[in-house]
Amino acid sequence: MARVRLEHVTKRYDDQGDIVTAVDDMNLDIDHGEFICFVGPSGCGKSTTMETIAGLTIPTEGEIYIGDREVTNLPPKDRGIAMVFQNIALFPHMDVYDNISFGLRLRDYPQDEIDRRVERASDIVQLDGMLSRMPEEMSGGQRQRVAIARAIVREPDVFLMDEPLANLDAKLKVHMRTELQRLHKELDTTIIYVTHDQEEAMTLSDRIAVLDSGQLQQIDPPLTCYNEPDNLFVAGFIGSPSMNFIEGTVTENALETPNFDLEFNPASVEGISAGDKVTLGVRPEDIYPGELRDEVPDPSGMIQAKADILEPMGDEIFAYLLLGDGETSMDQEMATNDQLLMSIDPDSDLEEEESISVVIDRRNVHLFDSATGEAIVHDLIPYEAEGTASGSEVESDD
Amino acid sequence: MATTTEDQNQSSDGPLQRWTQSAIQDPDKVYRALFYAAMVFFLVTTLFPFYWLMVLAVTPEGNLLSGSFLPTINLFGVSGTFPLPVPKGFNPGAFVGVFEQVPFHLYMLNSFALAVTTTVIVLFVASLAGYVFGRLRFPGRALLMLGILAISYFPPAAFVIPLFQAFAGNAPITVPFTSIPLFTPPRMLNTPGSMVLPFSALFMPLSIFILTTFYGQIPDGLEDAARVEGTTRLGALFRVIMPLSAPGVATAAVLTFIAVYNEYFFSSIMATSPEATNWSPIVGGILSYQTQYTTQFNLMAAASIVGVLPVVILVVVAQERIVSGLTSGALKE
Repeated sequence: MARVRLEHVTKRYDDQGDIVTAVDDMNLDIDHGEFICFVGPSGCGKSTTMETIAGLTIPTEGEIYIGDREVTNLPPKDRGIAMVFQNIALFPHMDVYDNISFGLRLRDYPQDEIDRRVERASDIVQLDGMLSRMPEEMSGGQRQRVAIARAIVREPDVFLMDEPLANLDAKLKVHMRTELQRLHKELDTTIIYVTHDQEEAMTLSDRIAVLDSGQLQQIDPPLTCYNEPDNLFVAGFIGSPSMNFIEGTVTENALETPNFDLEFNPASVEGISAGDKVTLGVRPEDIYPGELRDEVPDPSGMIQAKADILEPMGDEIFAYLLLGDGETSMDQEMATNDQLLMSIDPDSDLEEEESISVVIDRRNVHLFDSATGEAIVHDLIPYEAEGTASGSEVESDD
Repeated sequence: MATTTEDQNQSSDGPLQRWTQSAIQDPDKVYRALFYAAMVFFLVTTLFPFYWLMVLAVTPEGNLLSGSFLPTINLFGVSGTFPLPVPKGFNPGAFVGVFEQVPFHLYMLNSFALAVTTTVIVLFVASLAGYVFGRLRFPGRALLMLGILAISYFPPAAFVIPLFQAFAGNAPITVPFTSIPLFTPPRMLNTPGSMVLPFSALFMPLSIFILTTFYGQIPDGLEDAARVEGTTRLGALFRVIMPLSAPGVATAAVLTFIAVYNEYFFSSIMATSPEATNWSPIVGGILSYQTQYTTQFNLMAAASIVGVLPVVILVVVAQERIVSGLTSGALKE
């Protein structure tokens, strides 16, 4: 059983007198056989966290357990782990067979056992007939497969993968992604996977650990992170394109934003009262054109906007809308409140500069505390007394 | 020929003037010419001594001191002095004589053994140092590196007297500037220890410097990969970092080997007499052809050539590695 636990793991660096905290009081409990993704922007501490698990970095504080053993200060070779690196890190002076069997030969396995394991590993990653090649003679995808095979042969308790697909082209990336999933199913080993690509994290993992500034923001299954983000950071990081954020103030019966009001009953929502500054979060796919208002289960009032930029993606179109007076601003801070990104049907005949009215599905609206960024609620129950809450079925959510 | 140049030039200048004229238009010509001039200069200054040794070695001993090595030649009635020395007679027996008169092969073996031992020690210790300087960050690293390099600035002669006293093992080593005894070292004169130790210390800084540069360029990921796969840091150094730095290691090894193989200053003092049994090196052997009354220049020359052969072979074999090692510092991937 290879359960991985991190308790209060902290890593501080001394960068020419400045103390930099790369990992800040990280607590994680990863079950046997789980596929966990660490995601976060560059410099969020995800790689450092992985290095502390691998033993390449010793944490400043805290303990790490793999299985039932405390491994905090053990060297990497004694931790029962195998790792796949972002830069692949095959030994250039050894052929594929020697690369794959390197760890086994170091541990003095009998030759026939080495051969058996190398054969099985190269089978799994489909490297047959390439065992005598040198790494420089192989393509990026093949090298990556050798690196994975090198990790597999050791039959480790825990796999660590540090952005293993980051250097591959888009098509190969998708292919290797499915191979990794297949591999996880076959091996039934704990996999800890670091990526900055939230799409990879969504598709691969059992649970996603979202990190920012060295702190764990949320650790939950992918859809929970997507549908119920704990805070503004997770909401903005998970999902592509990113969630719309609009600052507003709670009034007696609505959320007032600079360009529109969203009716709801603050009394029905815990932890919120009139006068609170909140940030409204709504995903592009939860915004609908006004003419579809009747099909939206719990629509908001009409919001007037003007189409600014259209990005056709094939299966959908991303429309950047300008709210209010429709001034385009290059200033990001200024622009956020006036901009709304929505996903529309590819058959839509909307054109740039055209006016459009849209509605928001109030059942998929998130509110965050503007000051702390913490999530308050992930759906708004409509204000019962409010007549404008549409004539369609008014029902409370689950 | 003449007509074509005149056609091109429209003037009747001399060849030097024409060349100058075209060189002004094409400065590369000048650089090429300078390059050839420098090449010829270096070739003559390095190869001529070997030629001169060759001439001396095959000249019979009796002819050495009589007459000139520059023969007078008579060509079509004009007589003059040939500008290159030629042997006076032919006696290849000198190459056998060198082994008959003194056990020259033993001197060569001494030099070889000293050089190999020193090279192994230097490579091992310099690898550890190069790993630390090239791959780890710690306060005072630059200062320490400077200190190590500073050792190589001292003339070796500065160390001879204290080292000789220490290796003689007659008196205890004392704390500097006091007479407090620390310990009495074993007597090491006339043993390889008294030579290998100072050689290793003296040639270490250069090797550390070369290996630091090379080891510093190996990507961290490879070392991490080796450590995760099951090596210690030291294992990663010797199994991954060192093999990948082969040109640098070869450079350090060859430079150390040649320097020790040719060394005479320390060994002439640490071997109290130039005898093969006292671990006297090649130069000691060569000098034993000189006695109080006679100097057998032909045997000395032949012995020099024989002694140089192993190094020539080594350099020819390792040439590619050394050149790429010396030049590939910053350009390595």
